[in-house]
Amino acid sequence: MIEIDDLWKSFGDNQVLKGITLAIPKGETFVVLGGSGSGKTVLMKHVIGLLKPDRGAVRVGGHEMSTLEGKALNEARRLFGMVFQGAALFDSMTVFENVAFPLTEKRFRERPRADEVRARVIEKLKVVDLGDEVLDRYPSELSGGMRKRVALARALVSDPQVVLYDEPTTGLDPITTDYVDGMILNAKRKLGITSMVISHDIASAFKVADRLAVLYDGHLAAVGTPEEVRRSEDPFVQRFLSLWFAKQ
Amino acid sequence: MDRVKAAFEDFGRMLLFAVEAVAWAFRPPFRTDLVVAQMAFIGVGSVFIVAATGLSVGMVFALQMNYALKQFAAEGYVGGSVAFSLARELAPVFTALMVTGRAGSAISTELGTMRVTEQIDAMESMAVNPIQYLVVPRIIAATLMFPVLTMAFNVIGYGGGFVMGVYVARIPIGPFVEHTREFMEPSDIMHGLLKALVFGLIVSLITTWRGYAAAGGARGVGEGTTRGVVMSSIAVLVADYVITFISVGA
Repeated sequence: MIEIDDLWKSFGDNQVLKGITLAIPKGETFVVLGGSGSGKTVLMKHVIGLLKPDRGAVRVGGHEMSTLEGKALNEARRLFGMVFQGAALFDSMTVFENVAFPLTEKRFRERPRADEVRARVIEKLKVVDLGDEVLDRYPSELSGGMRKRVALARALVSDPQVVLYDEPTTGLDPITTDYVDGMILNAKRKLGITSMVISHDIASAFKVADRLAVLYDGHLAAVGTPEEVRRSEDPFVQRFLSLWFAKQ
Repeated sequence: MDRVKAAFEDFGRMLLFAVEAVAWAFRPPFRTDLVVAQMAFIGVGSVFIVAATGLSVGMVFALQMNYALKQFAAEGYVGGSVAFSLARELAPVFTALMVTGRAGSAISTELGTMRVTEQIDAMESMAVNPIQYLVVPRIIAATLMFPVLTMAFNVIGYGGGFVMGVYVARIPIGPFVEHTREFMEPSDIMHGLLKALVFGLIVSLITTWRGYAAAGGARGVGEGTTRGVVMSSIAVLVADYVITFISVGA
């Protein structure tokens, strides 16, 4: 579903990605782990075409995301839903308007009727355990966890084939983190979605991942199932994981 | 040297942004509801500050002209001088500077906040072009509302001048109005409205760009807003000179 081939990206003198290659099959939940500033978000933004690589290619569902522009790129983006690190809800809009946005912004002939939009918004909010009492609230009136849930409902509302999660559990308390992990697993189980999760939360990553990779210094230091990555002999991976496993 | 290079690069990026914004303005979907909302914010929301400034400028200018012209026993020309100066110069420039301070700064701050909180990225990820959705309505609204506000400034400013001239300086109403008619041509008003149209375009392009290109969190948004207001104000003054020079020559 997602193929990344020899991806290079720099910002000025800072070489962030140095030849990343990986493939994520349909229906898999793939987690990219790494420290702050390791380039995880940069990698994810290439997948959805928000950034263009200096070298290499990114293909999603047959679309060449690294070279598409304009209408063709927008067409390809309809495959995606994305949950941003800070939720990125539009703060001038209500919860309903936020979740409905991907539907109301479809091309005229594809746009659902108003009652259908409302039904789908309520349905997706139910998937993330939110009732219709939040519909008229603004993002500033929601807790951090609720904002993340609304963001996931917005990502799911147009029935995407791929959902990208950028640091979905950052800044959340353990109970809400556990809840968000459950949401990611549910989205996969109920909707069969391909997911790519960017995180530095090791516990959460090992819980939701079918496979995972550790990004360090622009390279993938380890790729495999959680068990394979745990047994990796790469010094950085060992150091990165040891602190967390030592606590367990 | 690096700062000069960076300034040129920034200017180049702003020009490309302007070209893209103008191109998107002519491509569907046309977002009339967003344009109307921005016209209300930029136009209706600025009426009070424009009216207060217009009234003050008209009143003060009438008193100053009365003081100057009285020395030549030419007080009757106060009305004409006030109307002429307001229409061609004071109304478009003061309106542009006041609306830049009120609405321009808000535009930069709002778009800058949306940029640093990834709301603009989110919009793009949902296959919606943020320039068309966020920038174009603001540019169209500002370009349309600056002339309307300038006209309001003209009317209120002349009203203030009339009150000062006729009721405070005791200039007879006949010469005050008659010399206004003599002095003023419709082209004087059109000259000022043309300036307002250009100022609206310039201010909206600069302030949306400074917000759209903001980076680096709250500090970046603050810097973007400050630069947006300062650059817009300077650009208005430069454009004012250029239009005036082209119109009346040396």
